[in-house]
Amino acid sequence: MKVLVTGATGFIGRQLSLILAMQGYEVKALCRNTDHPYLIKHKNIEPVTGNILYRQSLGRAMQDCQQVYHTAAMAKMWCRNPDDYHETNVVGTRNVLEVAANAGVQKMVYTSTCGVWGPTVKHPMSENDPRIAGFPIAYERTKYLAELEVQNFIKHGIQIVTVNPSRVYGEGPVTESNTVGKMVSAYMRGKWRFIPGNGEQVANYAFLSDVVEGHIAAMDKGQSGERYILGGEDISFNEFFNTVCEVSGKQHRLIHLPLKAIEFYSHVEKLKTQLTGLRPFFLPEFAERLKYDQKYSSNKAITHLGYRITPFAEGMHKTINYLKQA
Amino acid sequence: MITQTAIITGASEGLGKSFAIELASRHINLVLVSLPASGLPELASFIRKNFEVKVNYLEIDLTLAESYPAIFNYLSAEQITTHLLINNAGLGNWSWFEDLNIGFYKKQIELNVITPVLLTRLFLAQADTACTSYILNVGSLGGLFVVPKKQVYGATKSFIRYFTKCLQLELHGSNVKISLLSPGGINTKPELLVMNNKLKGISKATIMEPGHVARIAIDGLLKGKKEIIPGMINRVLVLLNSLLPAAVKEIIIRQRLATIIKS
Repeated sequence: MKVLVTGATGFIGRQLSLILAMQGYEVKALCRNTDHPYLIKHKNIEPVTGNILYRQSLGRAMQDCQQVYHTAAMAKMWCRNPDDYHETNVVGTRNVLEVAANAGVQKMVYTSTCGVWGPTVKHPMSENDPRIAGFPIAYERTKYLAELEVQNFIKHGIQIVTVNPSRVYGEGPVTESNTVGKMVSAYMRGKWRFIPGNGEQVANYAFLSDVVEGHIAAMDKGQSGERYILGGEDISFNEFFNTVCEVSGKQHRLIHLPLKAIEFYSHVEKLKTQLTGLRPFFLPEFAERLKYDQKYSSNKAITHLGYRITPFAEGMHKTINYLKQA
Repeated sequence: MITQTAIITGASEGLGKSFAIELASRHINLVLVSLPASGLPELASFIRKNFEVKVNYLEIDLTLAESYPAIFNYLSAEQITTHLLINNAGLGNWSWFEDLNIGFYKKQIELNVITPVLLTRLFLAQADTACTSYILNVGSLGGLFVVPKKQVYGATKSFIRYFTKCLQLELHGSNVKISLLSPGGINTKPELLVMNNKLKGISKATIMEPGHVARIAIDGLLKGKKEIIPGMINRVLVLLNSLLPAAVKEIIIRQRLATIIKS
């Protein structure tokens, strides 16, 4: 069977392409540049040049494909042109949906994010819980708007399942949107020196292999129109770095940086970017988020998709081994 | 101290949802009112679980005349006395007057004008005079500035401004506090999320997040502030509005109108 993977050079997309290829699918790997270093070479992977913003290229790529995994997105923390988030995540998704419907694609899995829920209060969020905060973060806002595009499109007869990974980490390249990879590799080089606030803030970390399996299970068993959180364990910053320290065997002293200081620094960074156009290291909307937990429950995916969670220590062990070799 | 209970209209989305979260985080019980199929049961169960307050909800259409007594009949059947009323439900528009049909304007006026007036009347009738009751009427800076393409919306918010200011005089010295909330743009509905993020300069700086507006509004309400204008830039605009001569303001609005017509 032929399947298309958009975002085939991305952190999730490239691993998904590989696993599908190993399972015997004929994978068409959509990427803007087929010479991209992160594109995986495999006899079942056919690189296809294309861009989700150009519908013609999508039409060619989707020919004879029965299934589409739409993982392509703008997931960076910052873009020089802020409209890029809307273009890629909302307009791009609309293009993929429309072209897929015309090309006779039977089923699609859309990769969203737990960021559409964002901050949590006390208990982990699940699929039916409401979002409680606004949308100052462009990535979360545009992924939410893209989910609305998907919901609108379900009526057109094509089956679409949405998956919502949390903060994904694992055996893959340290790309710009791979925040966990950036943190861990910096720690191992002794370049990561701080923990935000008291370190008690909790976030949910999903292991890449689990997330990839979750995508494939969503295609096989997922109900059209439903959303499935693909997460992992809820871990605080303190637990996170304790695990990284134990697993890597590298002990670096980390300073607890007060949130107020981070907030102040984020405003300085924002001003720097506004004045100079240089890439900011951090922004106020992310500093604000450090005050909240981000806990998510994968129970729906576990029950309905057979989703499995790799324990954090085990996943981090594999990740660190990968980073050491890379 | 007794636990207070608040009625919030239009509670399922946007600013209404932020009011619900803000009040729940202050340990105030809630009665949420919104249209059917707007996600109210999910919101109610989320708030109960995460904030440990009592949450009741009513899925009704506030443009129907029978809805107003229905809310208070329900409350008296449940033996709930409410201490706060958040008149939040409203219908906005951003369109030339002739572009929308009469059904829309009828609904807009019913929801923005008739609903808050009648709910305020019924709320005061059940209020416990022994303790302080609070009413928050959600107006808009649009009730103060004349903005093209907001003709009926702005007029309904001007109505709310007059209504609130007048009740403040009538109820002076009583145990009822009424505040007018006059926000600028808020990032709420999906279409506003798209539109507001295309703005630049001062216009962009006046836009606020719903959670922030709700926090400022509830602080002001509980302090008994007469009018709450969230955001420094919005307050400066209001100040300028009172300082500038009418002729200058008209020139500015006409220039704005010219750019709107061009776009």
